[in-house]
Amino acid sequence: MFLFGRYPVEARSLIRVVRRLSRIFSSKDNSEARSQRLLRTWLTPEQRAQFDAKRYFDVIGCDSRKRYRIYYGTATNVHEIDVAGRPKVGWCFVPDGYLAAGDIMLAQKISLETNEVGALLIANRFPIELSRRY
Amino acid sequence: MATQIVMDHTGDTRHYFDAKDAQALAKAEERFKELTRDGFTAAVRNAAGDVSRVRSFDPTAEETLFFPRLVGG
Repeated sequence: MFLFGRYPVEARSLIRVVRRLSRIFSSKDNSEARSQRLLRTWLTPEQRAQFDAKRYFDVIGCDSRKRYRIYYGTATNVHEIDVAGRPKVGWCFVPDGYLAAGDIMLAQKISLETNEVGALLIANRFPIELSRRY
Repeated sequence: MATQIVMDHTGDTRHYFDAKDAQALAKAEERFKELTRDGFTAAVRNAAGDVSRVRSFDPTAEETLFFPRLVGG
């Protein structure tokens, strides 16, 4: 009331801006939300359940049959898992361009499941110790 | 209605087409060729959720996903 009385135009304008920004960032149709929906659609039922529970999912490399864990994220989010279930080494590869996390994770999943050797040839290895997840 | 889904900065862009329409099918095939020529990978999935890469246009595919070429991070 005070704001509208003293600065009617400025206050209303500010409120409009805040509302618009809020709509953009909370929208169910922003790039992040869309990419998450697409990812969930393309995960197997087991991967989807794992992702919902733990924010990561496992994939099996098509060439080596090794297990990889893809964490929610846009970089340094793929870890090779050893037979005991421990992280062994990290692999960093992403699709080119500015993509949301869900899209990046989906491209990583498809690449490992359909062209593991090709993906790892492009990828940079990184030691897991450097990762914040462990 | 068949769909081609292309990942981009908005999340994705979807192109719907009627696979029984010869003109729409030709346009979809041309889009497939352009995208793969530009380095995009095309993938399809079956009912069980298993994914496979496709290197040539499949007119029977209900949904084809395209993502940009990979780079080392």
